[in-house]
Amino acid sequence: MGVLGRRIKSAETQRSQPHTWAQSLASRHDMGGFSIWYIIIGIGVLALLFIPMSMLLGVRYDYTLIVVALGGTLLGILNGVLGSFAVLRRQSLLGDALSHAALPGVCVAFLFFGRDMGALLIGAGISSLLGVWFIRILTQTTRLKQDVAMGIILTSWFALGVALLTYIQSLQTASQAGLDHFIFGQAAAIRLGDVVLVAMVGGVCLMVVIAFWKELKLMTFDLEFAQANGYPVRFLDAILSLLVVIAIVLGLQLAGVILMVGLLIAPGVAARQWTRNMAQMLTLAGIFGGFAGGAGAVISGLDKNLPTGALIIVVAVIIVFVSICVAPERGFIWTWRKRQADAKHINGGGHVAD
Amino acid sequence: MSLIEQVIIRLLNLFLSYEQINTLFNDPRTVAVIIGGLIALSSAVLGSFLLLRGLALTTDAISHTVLLGIVVAFLVMVGLLGMEADLSSPLLIIGAAGAGVLTVLLTELIERSGLVKEDAALGLAFPFLFAIAILLIARFADNVHLDQDSVMVGEIGMASANANSYCFANCDPITITPDDPRAKITRECVNCLSEGISPRHPNAIFEAVCANCGTYTAGQIIAQASRGNPLVAPEDNPQLVFIPKSLGVMSLLMLITLAFVGLVYKELKLATFDADLAKAFGFRPALLHYLLMVLTSLVAVGAFDAVGSILVVAFFIIPPATAYLLTNRLWLMLALSPLIGVISVFTGYEFAKGNFLGLIDMSAVMRWLNSTFGLNLHTTWDSSISASIVLMMFFFLLMTWLFSPKFGVVALMIQRRNQQRQFAEQVVLEHIYHHQHTEAESTELCAATLHEHLKWSKRRMMWCIARLRALHYITLQAGQVALTERGEQRVRQFNRDVLGLSIISDTTTIVT
Repeated sequence: MGVLGRRIKSAETQRSQPHTWAQSLASRHDMGGFSIWYIIIGIGVLALLFIPMSMLLGVRYDYTLIVVALGGTLLGILNGVLGSFAVLRRQSLLGDALSHAALPGVCVAFLFFGRDMGALLIGAGISSLLGVWFIRILTQTTRLKQDVAMGIILTSWFALGVALLTYIQSLQTASQAGLDHFIFGQAAAIRLGDVVLVAMVGGVCLMVVIAFWKELKLMTFDLEFAQANGYPVRFLDAILSLLVVIAIVLGLQLAGVILMVGLLIAPGVAARQWTRNMAQMLTLAGIFGGFAGGAGAVISGLDKNLPTGALIIVVAVIIVFVSICVAPERGFIWTWRKRQADAKHINGGGHVAD
Repeated sequence: MSLIEQVIIRLLNLFLSYEQINTLFNDPRTVAVIIGGLIALSSAVLGSFLLLRGLALTTDAISHTVLLGIVVAFLVMVGLLGMEADLSSPLLIIGAAGAGVLTVLLTELIERSGLVKEDAALGLAFPFLFAIAILLIARFADNVHLDQDSVMVGEIGMASANANSYCFANCDPITITPDDPRAKITRECVNCLSEGISPRHPNAIFEAVCANCGTYTAGQIIAQASRGNPLVAPEDNPQLVFIPKSLGVMSLLMLITLAFVGLVYKELKLATFDADLAKAFGFRPALLHYLLMVLTSLVAVGAFDAVGSILVVAFFIIPPATAYLLTNRLWLMLALSPLIGVISVFTGYEFAKGNFLGLIDMSAVMRWLNSTFGLNLHTTWDSSISASIVLMMFFFLLMTWLFSPKFGVVALMIQRRNQQRQFAEQVVLEHIYHHQHTEAESTELCAATLHEHLKWSKRRMMWCIARLRALHYITLQAGQVALTERGEQRVRQFNRDVLGLSIISDTTTIVT
């Protein structure tokens, strides 16, 4: 009865004119157009309302807090946008592996160059990329699945990092405290120079995404088709990996190694619920990520006992849960209402005789 | 818990006197290797099934979220029941098992909504639970020893210092808890860590670190114990045996794991390779799945103290992956992966102390690096034990990956090479067979130009002809190649068996 009824019902709606707001949103042809952009703009405005709201609740935006909030927001946006690719390509857990794999690079860079943010980031990036490369080789030449390969790289790279870290700790240099912040995430440690760096690198990344938009889109959804059409798939794949690595490495100082995967994918997963258009999804993921990063950083700035990374992740996952519930056409509330309308229609209409 | 410790001590006492047991359990190396071995055993057995079921990264998630279980159990213990915080309490184990199951349930719930893919569901569930745990620690459990360092590394080298005691004669058993004023050992040393002295620092040899808490020898502890306990007088010659707490916990977990796998081996095997069939037989694969998850959480929390929550994942994934590269048989995999794990633990401990497989002295390597590149590195090699164990696991995996007789890179390369060569030989034989006794024979079968007909390099053809001659498949007379009787037989056999051309190839008339 259930399946049959729903089929009959859907045939019914196609014939009849949509007569409620809900149904007009539901019918596929009205979706994906500009109506979603209106929703996105609304969400963006709501996110911006956080600033006056927090001011009303007594948050004072002094210089430090502004820098921290700015850094959090920028990193959140960057991670949201670039993480969406990881979500769409079903490589979410690669983010987890890569954030752990950054540790040895950070340690080596620290040993040679001290606590210089640029050097630490480059070191982290190189060791993460080595991790990606190794995962690929391991899956290509053995019968190990990708998840196993990721687990292997995650733990061994991290173990190497820990071994290096114990060596650094044994040096007893005073500046090693900064390294801890880098590993576990500490938004309060973000300085203006870091924010400028993030803004510049992030801007370049976003420009790369826009420049290769068509190719990246094709790669994400149909790799074989892209290959068959002669696109330089390996090169594009390398670019996408590089972008994700950059997002992770930059985000580490905000969320820390363990929680990084949440910051990377949660905005993308939430945005995916609202739309099936990739441009809309990336925009929305940027808004969600920026909100989670900024709000988390501001709230944690209030009290020393509130770890930034954890707060950001909790905010981001709450956004995901809200999205899963209320998103038009996919969300729980939506499907529940639709089912009720179906039942009412079938009971009232009496078209079905079985 | 105390029961199993008693059993262990009674068993050991069959062979050793109580002083010998004390020296055995007082040696950080022995204890670390034993406990590491126990962790490696249980996690490798569980990990083999998890790997085959495609759940390798679930261990990563669970090992993180057990922190939530631990924190909640701590809060209940300290806040509600007013007990002392203790990392080996049964409540903690319940909390951890609960957190493990919660992770799996949350992941499945998110996934089953159909709105989020499987990998993303896992990637959302465990950071969320872990973040809550971190927030809870920061807000409510700041005084409890659960800092991020312990999450990361763990201290297997300290395992011998956190001990229960068992009395043979003339005393009461005492427990050495972290907060026991009579023997502040483990936590004091970790205090040193937070003050910036690593317990792995060269000056921080086990005794030296604990200069602020008293050196740790069995005799002194007994003296302290007897001083703090009016029932015991030192002159009564108390016979007290100390047994590391982790030893009891991990032995119990290993026994449970082995019993579980032993009892439901058949069902697990079927559910792993064909869940639908297992369901059809009424084996309830879902129940087995959750039991596996509970056991995994238990082992993860048992190992939390010793190796930390990130590196324990390696114990679950790398040895089974190594065994998977060696064999196709489940029972062999179940035998090999714990073996690899235990060997890694042993060699890993040695590696942490600067001895790589008994072959290379790491301090010498550091000195060599210093002298060659003019670096200014420490020459004493004293690394994190758990990290070294994982690095040894990775080393063994690399070796297996390269040299596994069946699936190794080298073996596959040799195999591919052989196939290429055999194919080339067959092509040349077929070419000759095809053209001999025809009019074009003189041009087609001229040894000097044979490579042109197949568009090969001259060198390659030369090698191929040389091999075929050595095998007595062809002869070379007056610059012309010809099949021998043996070669002709081989071509016919190949055509019949492999190509299925028996009828056609026997009639030479089809040659045009």
